[in-house]
Amino acid sequence: MRDFVQSLRALLRLKPSQKLTRDYLISLAAAVLLALMVGAGVMLLCGHDPIKGYGALVSGALGKPRAVGNTLAKTVTLCLTGLAMSLAAKAGIFNVGGEGQLYLGAMAAAVVGAQLRGVPAWLVTVLSLLAAMAAGGLYALLPGVLKVRWKVDEVITTIMLNSVAIYFCSFLANGPLKTAERGIATGTDSILKEAAFTPLIKLSNLTTGVFYAAVAALIVWYVMSRSSIGFEMKLTGENDRFARYGGIRTGKLMLWAMVMSGALCGMVGMLEVFGLHKRFLTTVSNEFYFDGMLVAMIMRYNPFGVILMSFFFAILSIGSKSMELSAGVSSELILIVQSIIIFFMAAEGGIRKEFSDRAALRRARASAVRKEEA
Amino acid sequence: MGDVFNILLLQNTLRTATPVVLAALGCLMTQHVNITNIGIEGMMLIGAFFAVLGSYFAGSWVAGLACAVAMGVLLGLFYYVFVIKFGSDEFIIGVALNIFAGGLTVFLLRTIFDVKGSFSDPAIVPLPTVEIPLMKDVPILGPLLSGNTLLVYVSWLLVPVCWAFIYKTPMGFHLRAAGEYPDALTACGRSPARMKCLASVLCGVLSCLAGAHLSLGYLRMFSENMSAARGYVAFACVIFGRGNPPRVFLAALLFGFIEALGLRMQKYVPSDLTAMAPYVVTIVMMVAVVLMERRKRKRSV
Repeated sequence: MRDFVQSLRALLRLKPSQKLTRDYLISLAAAVLLALMVGAGVMLLCGHDPIKGYGALVSGALGKPRAVGNTLAKTVTLCLTGLAMSLAAKAGIFNVGGEGQLYLGAMAAAVVGAQLRGVPAWLVTVLSLLAAMAAGGLYALLPGVLKVRWKVDEVITTIMLNSVAIYFCSFLANGPLKTAERGIATGTDSILKEAAFTPLIKLSNLTTGVFYAAVAALIVWYVMSRSSIGFEMKLTGENDRFARYGGIRTGKLMLWAMVMSGALCGMVGMLEVFGLHKRFLTTVSNEFYFDGMLVAMIMRYNPFGVILMSFFFAILSIGSKSMELSAGVSSELILIVQSIIIFFMAAEGGIRKEFSDRAALRRARASAVRKEEA
Repeated sequence: MGDVFNILLLQNTLRTATPVVLAALGCLMTQHVNITNIGIEGMMLIGAFFAVLGSYFAGSWVAGLACAVAMGVLLGLFYYVFVIKFGSDEFIIGVALNIFAGGLTVFLLRTIFDVKGSFSDPAIVPLPTVEIPLMKDVPILGPLLSGNTLLVYVSWLLVPVCWAFIYKTPMGFHLRAAGEYPDALTACGRSPARMKCLASVLCGVLSCLAGAHLSLGYLRMFSENMSAARGYVAFACVIFGRGNPPRVFLAALLFGFIEALGLRMQKYVPSDLTAMAPYVVTIVMMVAVVLMERRKRKRSV
């Protein structure tokens, strides 16, 4: 009987758990610590003091109200992009093209915000938001249709579409839509001043746009974990043949997931334009989407986990700049730390299995020795 | 338009295609053992950086190449350990590898050379160009086939070599078996994991060579994110050529032609639009291959 229970357990262990279990969170803490230690080791190698470096990082991210504002603003960006990745990934389609969708969203918002006149300012804001979401969503629809109709690998097409969108926006900002204002190298006309978001904390990037983001995040969380559509998406992502057998129209669901994901990315672009730059600049995003993707992958596409992890990653990325300024450690170190966390969390199941196998071997050997002695 | 369509266009084609050819040959190895490796982008970037590093400090291109190859072996082993041994999601590891490569190269660029953006120095020794004695004087073919850098010829040579390796040797047969039917390979007493290890190491080495060609081939410099999605393009070429080296080579040449054409059209069209072209073509290629396969299947029915 005991043998049976054990083999059943072994069988169950074969199925990888995709949830945020307690064990997973413990591994996550270990991986974060390990990655930070690697970072400290690199700092030592380069002749910097790790305590001073990390101290500068924390105080740079949370030391002043302004810094806290910037960190929270970064959290919002990471969180929305992470949720965008999670939405699509849960439905079994990988949207790696968020960067392009973000650019197009930013461009659409900037154009509407600058050209629309004669309506109240709040309407301009809302319409720009809708334009940005439409631009991002439609742009995400293209690889979605290619995937669903013809099974064209969406990872490659979305990555290619990133470059296409970025160059296209840069073309618009350099050519037809280039502003006549002086001192702006590559950018469009300024948006309506009254329509822009106002800062919540003085001099920081945290603006009233955060409320829009919060509403969006809430909707996504609700759709993903509380609605029947979310459940159907999850089924599609985990086993699409089973889902189809159960009467779910998987293709349509995948497309919807992709469109929502793209719309979220477009919204991030709009928030950047209306909160920070007040116009489209070619530097509107610095691979924001890829950071969000990392967060989403680490938290296994769990919406609540994504929100928490975004805060941690935001501290790292905002703090890294002051770490560079005051402790002299290049801020790219944080990218290395973040990717080490990913490596270990992706391999978490495998490493754990390796350990348990070794432990089992040791136990078996020990018991064999004991038997022999007896 | 006479200044666009001339012999220089073909020369540029070969030049821009070479890194894609090398990376695609690497990617093809992992594709045959059924691993979707999108980490080539990062491998290329690391290869490009370490080639410059070796060449700068040792003062010879051989050291640069050796450095790149060593990193390729390391990256291949790393990829094998994480994807095969620990059974992680190859997509996640690939993406993380690309981000890691971006962070690592820029970090080292700032820490070792103390520059931002790009690093070029007369002390970096580029790859030698090879003049083929008799070929040099043939009118049109001469400037095309002679006077290229070493890795261009290596990449040409590697196309038939890879083809023969994959389709004509026992080792290549085992490699394909590891991807298509690993149980059969196990039944013959060979380890699929070992074949996958071989494939990912080969992929690492070839991708790093591709990177070395980017930084030491014609430019003699390293700049941030200089691989510019060429790794993904290489992946698309492999899909387009269905893993068959000569076909993959042709796909890479097509990509090189489009990019070269774009570079030379800059006088007439805004450069942002011409820069878009290779990526659009890649998407079209991906769709075309699916449609072609569909038609074939329909005809066979």
